[in-house]
Amino acid sequence: MHALRFYVTLYRTALKSVAEYRVDFAVGIVTAISMQLAALAFYWVIFARTPALGGWSPGQVLLLFGFTAMVLGLSEATLNGIWWLPYYILDGQLDRLLTFPVDSLAFVLLSRPELHSFGNFAAGALSVAVAWHLLSPPWYALLFLPLWIGAGAVIYTGVLVLVGALTFRIVGPWVTHLFTVHQLFNTSRYPISIYPRWLRVLVLYLLPFGAAIFVPADYLRGHGSLWQAVLVPPLAALAVAFAAKTAWDAALRGYQSTGS
Amino acid sequence: MTTLAAPTLRQVIGGFCVLAQKTAQTKLTYRLATLITLLASGFAYCVFLLVWNEVYRQNPHAGPLSREQMLGYLVIAFLVNALLILNVESRFLQRVRMGLVAVDLVRPLGFVFVQLAQATGDLLVNAIYAVPIYVVGLAFAGSALYPASWLAAVLGGVSVALAFLIGFGVSYLIVQASFVLQSGYGVLFARAALHQVFSGLSAPLVMFPAPLRRVAVWLPFRHEIETPVRLWLGQATLAEAPRLLLEQAAWGMGLVLTGELVFRAVMHRHQIQGG
Repeated sequence: MHALRFYVTLYRTALKSVAEYRVDFAVGIVTAISMQLAALAFYWVIFARTPALGGWSPGQVLLLFGFTAMVLGLSEATLNGIWWLPYYILDGQLDRLLTFPVDSLAFVLLSRPELHSFGNFAAGALSVAVAWHLLSPPWYALLFLPLWIGAGAVIYTGVLVLVGALTFRIVGPWVTHLFTVHQLFNTSRYPISIYPRWLRVLVLYLLPFGAAIFVPADYLRGHGSLWQAVLVPPLAALAVAFAAKTAWDAALRGYQSTGS
Repeated sequence: MTTLAAPTLRQVIGGFCVLAQKTAQTKLTYRLATLITLLASGFAYCVFLLVWNEVYRQNPHAGPLSREQMLGYLVIAFLVNALLILNVESRFLQRVRMGLVAVDLVRPLGFVFVQLAQATGDLLVNAIYAVPIYVVGLAFAGSALYPASWLAAVLGGVSVALAFLIGFGVSYLIVQASFVLQSGYGVLFARAALHQVFSGLSAPLVMFPAPLRRVAVWLPFRHEIETPVRLWLGQATLAEAPRLLLEQAAWGMGLVLTGELVFRAVMHRHQIQGG
């Protein structure tokens, strides 16, 4: 209970700290929305040339776009700190952080919310709303939306932590390895049926972004089962969270300070 | 108090070359980071290729370009993009955060030439990585990647040089935003979004719906990727070439000059943090 209160206070303080810069906040929101619009512009180009993509209609693909943006927005708004790990290590901030009597991974993740996340989340929610209107899935499916988006955010962050743990071994001022994860995550915007087999296996089972995006979307378009849609995302999230925590702890055991 | 004499042209050129060389050496030191960046952007680009592959599988006459022409276009577009990935903004943001920007502002070469020299260093290293990308592309797309003729190759080369100037001009403008914002990453990502849509990186403008194309022709981004690729592949006629190159030159010069004007205005109110 004490730890939980600590994390809430930490997150609230971190949020206040980044919200202090109001122009940056406004620029961040505009930026995130423009990034989503850029993705939607490509969607427009594609569907100007074809009525369906890999058996998915424009409305169904829009749902994938929306889910992906909402998952990204939620992860950036809450568990974004892993992107700052290389800089924490380089300038010695991680050493200070490790002296706190709380879990270091949670501390790092909650320490740096990103304000442009609200733009990503809002643009995603709008896409999902339009797609929902076009697809008309059963009304009770709406109750599972927080579960799917929450599980998706845990999976995305978990994979970032898995790869981010490498930062302890390859110290340097870069986040390119995390950016690779981000690019892999963007495969969720398009139907899984257009990808080669190895990529399908990768994004469904090994780095299971698809478990929280394709599986629910498949159910919402009337193909998959409700049980699958309700059970697969949280189970995949639990598995990835466990793997991420294990990798983090193992990497931390070999950590050597940079002495900054 | 003694005043420093303005550097001679020879000193400026010498300083420019040394700075470009040192930037290239620094970038080569971080080979792993550069390779991972290329791998990540290559992977993202494969998604575009797979999407277009599916579009042409479903509809072989999906647009004015054939499947082979589209493949050639997309691979060369990726190559040009890889060549023009400049670290101007990220390098600058790091220096602002560490308080080192003060050193850049007093260099005798001048701020704009310091940035341009470093961007040239980026270009040199990118050119090294572009060779294996082209070879891999040839294995997949074969003759679709060849220039249409010797003249097309020369025009494509000149166009890439002008595209570099445009890319630098946009980056230089973003650097000015970094002087007044706490974090310049927002503007950086906004530029990336505009570049991704309007440069022709994901599709040539001829494939765009009309309203989107109308917006794209008024922006500089298409001259960063689409113009050099079309000239190289001969998709732009020889009669079009002079106009396209002149438009590129005008955009490049205009952006750099605008950046310089903004820089002078920004310097009136700029404060250096202690580092």
